[in-house]
Amino acid sequence: MSTEFSAEAYAKAAAAAIRLPLDARHLPGVAFNLALAARMAAVIEGMPLGPADEAAPVFVAGREPPR
Amino acid sequence: MIGAAGTAAAVRAGRLTAAAATEQALADIAARDGRTNAFTAVTPERARAEAAAVDAAIAAGRDPGPLAGVPYAVKNLYDLAGLTTLAGSIIERDRPPAARDAFLVRRLHAAGAVCLGALNMDEYAYGFTTENHHYGPARNPHDPARMAGGSSGGSAAAVAAGLVPLTLGSDTNGSIRVPASLCGIFGLKPTYGRLSRGGSYLFAASFDHLGPFARDVADLALAYDALQGADAEDPAQQWRAVEPVSGVLDAGTAGLRIAVADGHFARNGHAEAFAAAEAVSRGLGTTARIEIPEAARGRAAAFLITMAEGGNLHLPDLRTRPDDFDPMTRDRFLAGALLPAHWLQQAQRVRAAYRAAVLKLFDEVDVILTPATPYVAPPIGQDMIEVDGERIPVRPNLGIYTQPISCIGLPAMAVPIADPAGIGAPHGLPIGVQVIAAPWREDVLFRVAGALERAGIVAAPTPAR
Repeated sequence: MSTEFSAEAYAKAAAAAIRLPLDARHLPGVAFNLALAARMAAVIEGMPLGPADEAAPVFVAGREPPR
Repeated sequence: MIGAAGTAAAVRAGRLTAAAATEQALADIAARDGRTNAFTAVTPERARAEAAAVDAAIAAGRDPGPLAGVPYAVKNLYDLAGLTTLAGSIIERDRPPAARDAFLVRRLHAAGAVCLGALNMDEYAYGFTTENHHYGPARNPHDPARMAGGSSGGSAAAVAAGLVPLTLGSDTNGSIRVPASLCGIFGLKPTYGRLSRGGSYLFAASFDHLGPFARDVADLALAYDALQGADAEDPAQQWRAVEPVSGVLDAGTAGLRIAVADGHFARNGHAEAFAAAEAVSRGLGTTARIEIPEAARGRAAAFLITMAEGGNLHLPDLRTRPDDFDPMTRDRFLAGALLPAHWLQQAQRVRAAYRAAVLKLFDEVDVILTPATPYVAPPIGQDMIEVDGERIPVRPNLGIYTQPISCIGLPAMAVPIADPAGIGAPHGLPIGVQVIAAPWREDVLFRVAGALERAGIVAAPTPAR
């Protein structure tokens, strides 16, 4: 199975999954931006990360409001 | 026009009334804003009422505040009571007016400043150019055929044109520092979590910062000092004590370890960007260089997280009225709503690892210098530009040096080169340098900017009228 990224095909499938009607007029621009995002994703894919590397946002259960 | 500090001093001393300062600014905007298209709304009634209250306080012997009678305006994503908050869109035009002012507007009101209106921006802050299709482009006061930068383009253009001495903007990936550089003024993006964003229209909340623009360091400090304060309504604000900086402007740079960033920050731009950073480092007497590790990955992470947060925020309108979005933003928001979860989570983990690596640098240095933008203001409408022998899209590349810094929330200030022609900037157009410090060390930024200003290396060039 090919793992090549087809931005247009992905856009159509993902839009359906989140109930986003995607007008055919917008599809080329969306595909262009998804392809750009894919290049950015390739840049971060190579970062060496281990199991201890948590995501930046850290959930806080609550904090004292300022007085 | 006199600056914020000069106006406040004159009003407080009774040499000028706030009413007179307000009328002068209103007349100036009416006469000259057609050239820059910085304002999307002018609020004369509000301004006159605020000015009258300042004059009444002085007449009654009360302290009118440190910004008494100082005219200012805000990017139109700040709530102004009675005005609909547009965030650069026509979609928001249908919403009811804001019930109260944004937190930072309340802070400036309490300091005696006078709000004159709302300012142009990229739709929903998603851009670096303020080529807004709904409200027209903000134009650079140094050449109206050129971009003011963005997304706080109106905020920078209004100050550079001398319409008001002080404005507020927002910065998610560079939206204060980029227009400050292109318009030749000072712009501060404080540490993430320093200033409250309460009552502002968010874009990508995990990167959204608010901050001021001014024509000199003292005015910027005066504004920043007034803006600080805890707001229980901003979930990202760190509720720190107020740490004023107006007293450190003359402290000098003795003892500060300063270096120019190499690698990513020494590529991806034109000669004037590197000449600007060089002029500032020479002025500070440093030849040290430092590599900010993984900056390109930090920028890529910011790019993806911004897309995803923005797309998610606007999904209800993207589903029902996509054609009401600005064509400059719509397809990016649509694509952002569709990103695979893996890309976003990987970006968030890269962001944390990148932050850890960069914070270690502050064991070795206190200040890092980079160009603020990769080139001077391009002509409005230009799509592509040649950089390092390659044709690339001009707009996203404007944030190449700012995006890796806001990604990890470091405080940064754009400072304008006083003599752009002297460093070889094309057509003598303005360009700025980004001064970066460790988290919560805005005081260091102001010390450096103050020293550079005294040495005549940075200052806001005056546009020809």
